[in-house]
Order: sequence, then C-alpha cells, then structure tokens
Amino acid sequence: MNNRRLPGLLLVSPLLLVLLLVFVAPVLLMAPLSLHEYLPGTGVSQQWTLANYTDIVTDEYFREVVLRTLALGFGVTAICLVLGYPLAYYIANAGPTMRLTLTMLVIFPMLLNLVVRSFGWIALLANRGLVNNLLIDVGLIERPIKMMFNLFGLLVGMSHIFLPFMVLMLVPAIQAIPKDVQAAAYTLAASRARVFWSVTLPMSAPGILSGSILVFVLTISALVTPRMLGGPTYKVMATLIYDDFLQTLDWPAGAAMSFVLTGLTLLVIGLSSRVLRRWGGTA
Amino acid sequence: MNDEKGPGPALAAAAIGVIVFLQIPVLVVMLAAFSKTAYLTIPPKGLTLHWFEVVLHDAEYLSAAWTSLWLAAGATAAALLLGLIAAYAIHRRMVPAAAALASLMMAPLILPSVVLGVALLQYYTLTGMRGNSLGLWLAHVVITVPYVVRASLSSLSSVDEALEDAARVLGADGFTSFRLITFPLVKPGLVAGGLFAFITSLDNVPVSVFLLSASQTTLPVKIFTSVEQGVDPSVAAVSTLLIVATGIVLLLAERWTGFHKHV
Repeated sequence: MNNRRLPGLLLVSPLLLVLLLVFVAPVLLMAPLSLHEYLPGTGVSQQWTLANYTDIVTDEYFREVVLRTLALGFGVTAICLVLGYPLAYYIANAGPTMRLTLTMLVIFPMLLNLVVRSFGWIALLANRGLVNNLLIDVGLIERPIKMMFNLFGLLVGMSHIFLPFMVLMLVPAIQAIPKDVQAAAYTLAASRARVFWSVTLPMSAPGILSGSILVFVLTISALVTPRMLGGPTYKVMATLIYDDFLQTLDWPAGAAMSFVLTGLTLLVIGLSSRVLRRWGGTA
Repeated sequence: MNDEKGPGPALAAAAIGVIVFLQIPVLVVMLAAFSKTAYLTIPPKGLTLHWFEVVLHDAEYLSAAWTSLWLAAGATAAALLLGLIAAYAIHRRMVPAAAALASLMMAPLILPSVVLGVALLQYYTLTGMRGNSLGLWLAHVVITVPYVVRASLSSLSSVDEALEDAARVLGADGFTSFRLITFPLVKPGLVAGGLFAFITSLDNVPVSVFLLSASQTTLPVKIFTSVEQGVDPSVAAVSTLLIVATGIVLLLAERWTGFHKHV
C-alpha cells in the first residue's frame, strides 16, 4: 500500500496546493476582516466587533435586502418549476430526434454568456425596450411601464437564466419513472390528471427537490443579472457585497454579508441533502 | 382506452411556448445588433452592419476578447492537467481521505462566486498580488477545476480497472498503461468537462470583476460595466458574435462527444 501513497500524493498535491492557497486561505482570511469596524476616511479599525453581523439583523435596510434576496430565490424557483415541469415532461416522453433537438435548445441559452442573456432582457424590459414599444404601438398603454430596477424585472430575467438548470434536473427524474406504473394507473381507469397528481409528480419528487435547490442557490448568489436588471439601487445580497467592496469600500460589512450568504447557501444544500438521503433510503 | 398515453396537445403547446421563451432574449439581441436605431422596434427600422464594423475596429473590445480567450484557454489547460491527475489518484484510492479531497475540489461550485471574488480581492491586496495576471489565472483555475474533476471522476468510474492492470502485467509502466489504455477511454468525458471549464471561465464576471487591473478587462466584464453607462447597440453586436460562436461550439461539441449526455 505504501508504494502507492507517494505517487498518489504527487498526483493530488499540485491541485491541493492551488486550492489551499487560492481558495481556502482567502475565504478564511475574510473572517477576521468581517470582525472589524469600518471607519469612513480612515479605513478598517483595529477594534474587534460583531457589529457587522448584528447590523444585518437589526438594520432595516439590510434586513430588507436579505428578505428580498430570499423572496427572489423562492419566486424564481417556483416560476422555474411551473415553466420547467411541462417542458421536462414533454422532453422525457418525446422521440429520440425531438428529445435531442429540444435538449440542445435548452442547453444553448445556458451556454450563452450570462452577460449577453441579461443584456437581452434589458433590451426587452427597458423603458424604451421592445416590450414597452410594442405595447405603445398596439395602443394598450400610453407611457412605458417600469419593468426594470424592480422585483418584476429580476423575477423574469432570473427565471429565464436558471430555467435550463431546472429542466435538465427534471428530465432524468421523469424518465426514471417506470412506464408500467403509469400504465397500471390508466388500466385502473385513473384519469390523466389523477395519474399526474398521484403517480408522476410524487415519483419525480427527488428531481423536483434537486432542481429547486440548485435554482434557489444559484438565484440567491447571482451577481450579474441582479446588477444589470436591478441597477445600482434595487439591491440583493450579492450586489450589496459588490458595492461594499468596489464602491463604498466598507469591506468588513461586505465580508460579513459574504459569510451570511455562504451560510444560507450551505444551510439550504445541507437540509436538502438530508431530505434526499431519507427519500433514497425509503424508496 | 389505449395504454399508451402520449403527451396531449396542451402539453406540447406549453413545452414549445417555454422553448420559445428561452430563445427570446437571444433573438432580441441579434435583432438589436442589425438595427439602425439605438432602441428596438418590431419590425426593425432599417438593417445595418454598422455596429459590427464599429465593434471589430474597437481596440478595447478586441483586446478584451483576446484577454478572455487566453485566460479561458490557460485556465482550462491547467484545470485539465491538475484535475485529471488528482481525480485519477482519488479514483484509485491512492491517497488518504479521498472522499474529503473530492469534496474540497468540488467546493468552488458551491461557494457563491461573488464571495470568492471579494475574498480574493482582499487576499491579493494583502499579498501584493492585486491586479496581477497570475492571480487572475489561478482564480480561474479554481472556478473551472470542479467541472474537470467531476467529468474525470465520472469517466474514470466507467473504465474497467482490469484493463490497465492487464497492461501492467504485460510490462507497461504506470504512465504508459494510463496513456495507452485509460486516457483514450476517458477522453470524450474530459473534452466535455474541458468545454464546460472553458465556457465557465469565458462567462465569468463575479470573480474577474474584482481582480482585473485598471488596464485590462475581459469581454463579459467590459459588457457588464459598459451597460451601467448606458446601452449602446455595439453591445448587441458583440453579443451577437458571441451567440454565433457559442452555437457553433455547441454543435461541434455535440458532434465530437455527444455533449448533451455530459451536461
């Protein structure tokens, strides 16, 4: 066994070294930063404090940003589920050619540069954007409706961005449902709706949970789309961190917010993997 | 009543509707790139290639594109090499705590990118590496390596270890048997993983935006920051070029590796 250890360590150590130096160390070093106060003009003080963390709970503005981020996470997840399930179901039951074509059309926007996709939504939702121009030309409205820099714009844009992830998680889950279970339900004279609610949907629950967790986590940690569609005023946690580090230079507050965001992400992933394991055990 | 219930027409309509929804921003961007007006209307008022000409002669866009491509190529190459050899050692249980090591290598996928970005900003400021290309490259290796490790581990698990052992019995050394037996078998998965790594690097804003020096920028960061100063149709032209490039790469990758099976 020992004659395998040395080559093994040699193979692993280059990557391990990179990860320790450029991933683990930077994240750990942000912990002390988050425990100091930022004094405008002078910089980071030497005093230790928990204020950056307590502020997130007590300060009304911070609380609003955190709650908005979570609301956005739930909203986008729900929209992706409602839009993604029918498409995933259709793909799972389609013939091979149709399945490949549709899968490629789902993957394509996912591979496309995120900045480009977000820019597409700006072109659609801006005051002089396509949707407003169309509505005015048709005569439905007289003045442009505000569709960006608010919850609506972020919900629409981010649902579009993360929908492919949901679909790609749901398709294999739906495909894995044995066809004869559904056939048996039909034989027992269950209606199409009944089969869906009592057989298909519950049996695809693991896929629904995995897809939802993925979309939720991606949504609450997203920076690019909220910044491009929300602008500098309508903030979520990630854009607040961005401004703390690049605009106001209040690094300690940004560091604390970073740990809260990371904690939320790990909490959601941890909870869901426990649920999935329990389901896996009973199935 | 027949046993086989195919999808009904309502479901088909819903599915097609969602597929269309997914392509809409893509079509809109392409439409905007050819428009003579700075804002968008349907039908477009006049078609022009003017914005492409502007972009292809813009030194800033060109240098941003080169920076992006070199960064992505360099990060992918390093991630492929480091990721594959580490995954091999983990797969063959040549190291202690193999499962924990694999988790560590996948961890950059879980940490929000913006958190890694700001953590590295502080770290590089402390160590005097702020604005350094080497630091940016290492950061991109970290964010791309999980895709390579994942692809390598899943490809390796489908390779019969007895094949490599047989080569060893026949006198090949460890490296030769890996090169001639295992590597060709994991190559398709590795190509797909490498492509994902490349696209991830090319797409990245949340890490790059904090680490770029004042004098250099990548293409997505340039678009990201220029949108804040107001939308210009040249952004649509750059985006259209990226859309076409992405489409071609996806089709080629599908032909070479059956890419959709690796997603």
